[in-house]
Amino acid sequence: MRRPNVVLLALMLAALVGWLGLESVNVAANRIVLGTGFRAHQVVGWPGALVSCLPLVTVAILVRRATRVRLCWALVLVVLMLMAMPAWLAIAADRLVDPSLPQSRLGIGPANWLLLFLLLLSLIELRVRLALSRWAAWWLLLPVLAAWWLALAFWLEPLALLREYRGRSDPFQTAILVHLSLVGAAVGISLVVGVLLALAMRRHAGIQRLVFSVLNIVQTMPSLALFGLLLAPLAWLAANVDWIAALGISGIGWAPALLALVGYSLLPMVRNTFVALSEVDAGVIDSARGMGMSHRQVFLQVRLPLALPVMLEGVRITTVQAIGLTAVAALIGAGGLGTFIFQGLGQAAMDLVLLGALPILFLALVADTLLGVLASRLDHRRDAGVPQ
Amino acid sequence: MIELFEVTKRFGSEAAVDGISLRVEKGQLCALVGTSGCGKSTTLRMINRLIEHSEGEIHIDGQPVRRFKEETLRRRIGYAIQSTGLFPHWTVERNIGLVPRLLKWPRDRIQARVEELMSLLGLPMESFADKYPNQLSGGQAQRVGVARALAADPDILLMDEPFGALDPITRETLQFELRDLQSRLHKTIVFVTHDMDEALRLADHLVVMRAGRIVQQGAPLELLRDPIDAFVESLLGGEDRGLKEAALTPVSHRMLPLGPHPIAQARIHRDASLHQALAVMFREHVDRLTVVDVEDMPVGELTLRCLVGVHRGEPGA
Ligand SMILES: Nc1ncnc2c1ncn2[C@@H]1O[C@H](COP(=O)(O)OP(=O)(O)O)[C@@H](O)[C@H]1O
Ligand SMILES: [Mg+2]
Repeated sequence: MRRPNVVLLALMLAALVGWLGLESVNVAANRIVLGTGFRAHQVVGWPGALVSCLPLVTVAILVRRATRVRLCWALVLVVLMLMAMPAWLAIAADRLVDPSLPQSRLGIGPANWLLLFLLLLSLIELRVRLALSRWAAWWLLLPVLAAWWLALAFWLEPLALLREYRGRSDPFQTAILVHLSLVGAAVGISLVVGVLLALAMRRHAGIQRLVFSVLNIVQTMPSLALFGLLLAPLAWLAANVDWIAALGISGIGWAPALLALVGYSLLPMVRNTFVALSEVDAGVIDSARGMGMSHRQVFLQVRLPLALPVMLEGVRITTVQAIGLTAVAALIGAGGLGTFIFQGLGQAAMDLVLLGALPILFLALVADTLLGVLASRLDHRRDAGVPQ
Repeated sequence: MIELFEVTKRFGSEAAVDGISLRVEKGQLCALVGTSGCGKSTTLRMINRLIEHSEGEIHIDGQPVRRFKEETLRRRIGYAIQSTGLFPHWTVERNIGLVPRLLKWPRDRIQARVEELMSLLGLPMESFADKYPNQLSGGQAQRVGVARALAADPDILLMDEPFGALDPITRETLQFELRDLQSRLHKTIVFVTHDMDEALRLADHLVVMRAGRIVQQGAPLELLRDPIDAFVESLLGGEDRGLKEAALTPVSHRMLPLGPHPIAQARIHRDASLHQALAVMFREHVDRLTVVDVEDMPVGELTLRCLVGVHRGEPGA
């Protein structure tokens, strides 16, 4: 504990260099023209810029001797910095954006993105070092989220990201809904199919080999290729079978997207379910049978509950993966948050890309935490007190 | 009562158990011993049909085991194994109440039975009822395993190396507890072990197995006095088997009435074993002990000559 925490030290130094060296924000007169970048000292002058570096320097000094108390203080400072970032943007907006030009907007520059990224990494490192649970980390993020929400709602009117959202608040909500529905359906279907497959595989070794080899092939296909492969057969089906067309299924849209998502989700789901069910302690199963439990009772009361935490791990991996993959599904007209990413790429509007990408990132993190916490809750009786 | 008639079990073409016949009387503890892989567990598990036998007949109280539904049969037979097999996601209380719950006993009867068993096995309800198996020591977990096997008060108990994973001291404690329990409960027990001392300590009937067959069976003393071949003899400890015999024989079996000469200083309890008596003589450098009863009153004497049974050792005996 006495030694310096090299990871945090490196993160802080990188953040310092990036903060002073890269462009903090950029300002453009409208959506189309290229903005002008401003570094920290061009926003508030050198004295202000140096003052803004103080928390980073302090954390770096604190972690030179990594005692628990010092790490706690470092944690407080990192959280405060994350809370201060929107305030910094508000100051920049106030100083740089001309209120008489209603189209002019403030973009978040690379220095800010880098800082955000490095601070989040520091937070993860500190959470591990201080042995805090996943929950605790989210409680720490709560004030940060509150600060950002307040700033976005009241002080960051000229922020380009916000302007992109204002113009599309309805499509944005629909996109989130579509995104979540696709993910939910894909995870739900692959959970049911995956459990059934895993059960069949436990009966017959032949099925086991077949399923694993097929799913491994699917997993290695690039996602766009898989989406593309499904286009032709589904289009043909829709053209030739009436009830399929009546269901709204066609070569593009949600149907091939969902199929491909299920295809990708099956492998982690099947693998985890299969391993989870197979690896339940043989002695426990033996004694359950020896006590006179029926097959059904052994499965429902012993094997399944003991396998559940590992199965949930499969659900977690699958969900996080599906949240990301659904972005690609926008390319074949399935909708979802990916739509903004590809529109933004087409129009070279980075802030529109962010409007799609940031919520995806956020959803993935939330799903990861919730399912991780659920799994460790279910597991608490067997590994009591082990931090995640 | 458990009877096996010419029972064989084949896995593929290999016979793991090969035509064994065995009879365990009601209230007896029968120990199956032998080197690992000789078919002890297979024999045990055929009795509650965790493994189906290939040939022969297995009877419980005169009825073929195949006549019962598997679950019904197993709920009448206690089962305890080396790894305990306790359910890690259930509390101690729930684990013990498993079979009564399967038998749909009323709630308060289960509750009362679990309490009774926990006190019987020295597990205070207040401190253990709500614990999970991973919070128990090896000895405690094994006690819970035994309590669970006894829960529905079965006549028959099958135990597969139940103390095999414990340290020597805990193992010995649990052996004595089991013997004590057995003297009160009189269950019919089949007990698998590869520890000969454990088998000698506990068994009424000792069965030595080798490569799926029974080499010799009988009362422990019979086997010790008259091992059928070199294998059984070496399993029983070779030259040491004399000491093991002494350990199984109480002083009262060999003692003489108090003689005319003054009584010896060194004393031994009448229920102690000849092995202990020998140890006392060796330590005190004497060849005569006074045998006393519970109140420390002299009831007889034991000489080295009668301890080793000189008068019995006539040629041909
Ligand atoms: N389910 C099984 N399938 C095939 N062979 C088995 C099975 N169970 C046990 N055997 C074999 O039967 C023999 C006896 O095993 P077992 O009864 O477990 O021996 P032990 O005396 O050590 O308890 C061993 O050779 C073992 O490999
Ligand atoms: Mg065995």
